[in-house]
Amino acid sequence: MREVVSTDEAPGAIGAYSQATTNGELVFTAGQGPLTPDGEVLEDASIAEQTERVLDNVAAILEEAGASMADVMKTTVFLDDIEDFEEMNGTYAGYFPDDPPARSAVEVGALPLGIGVEIEAVALVE
Amino acid sequence: MKDIVHTNAAPEAVGAYSQATTNGELVFTAGQIPLTPDGRLLDDAPIAEQTEQALDNVTAVLAQAGASMEDVLKVTVYLDDIDDFEEMNGTYAGYFPSEPPARSAVEVGALPKGVGVEIEAVAVVE
Repeated sequence: MREVVSTDEAPGAIGAYSQATTNGELVFTAGQGPLTPDGEVLEDASIAEQTERVLDNVAAILEEAGASMADVMKTTVFLDDIEDFEEMNGTYAGYFPDDPPARSAVEVGALPLGIGVEIEAVALVE
Repeated sequence: MKDIVHTNAAPEAVGAYSQATTNGELVFTAGQIPLTPDGRLLDDAPIAEQTEQALDNVTAVLAQAGASMEDVLKVTVYLDDIDDFEEMNGTYAGYFPSEPPARSAVEVGALPKGVGVEIEAVAVVE
């Protein structure tokens, strides 16, 4: 069983992908960038602000799938510059105040649309 | 319960990994590169052609596991050059004509064997 998750509370895809999919047990989000739900790209905003927008998108998508940030098992954080790790992490921590998910964070060569951070998540669906 | 997936319809691993593994509910493929099942490397081919071979390999590995491209929940696309995003995406879209999986796409520092694209997938096993 596979279902696609779609919500207007998060930005639409910028390519051939869905915002998320679920098998009823786990939900897999697409990598989220700092785009507002109406498509404005915040590529020039601070990393803290970009991280906030990204995680707001993740939260909105998870909510549509019946999950919350407390249900997240694993995230992957892709940074354009590893020097932004601490700034990203400071904002990120506020979204996971207790028992945060497992996470990998890496610097990549480049991200789509010139953004500074992209985050994907796998979460339990209740 | 962990099963290894192996097929001659996709290229052999180029390192210490399996083509895919499954727990009977989900199948996780290794990152697939533009290598033909008989081991020919398409590192000089256009990104469209490289994407096609990588996704043909994903398709073959999933088929061996009892899944199809319609069962794919999540894809990660690693590009050598983010400027190849649109060319990759154009070919990619043809493999997922409706309700495509969630996806993250990033540029990495380099890929094995000088290829331009590597693609991994998580799918539901029926």
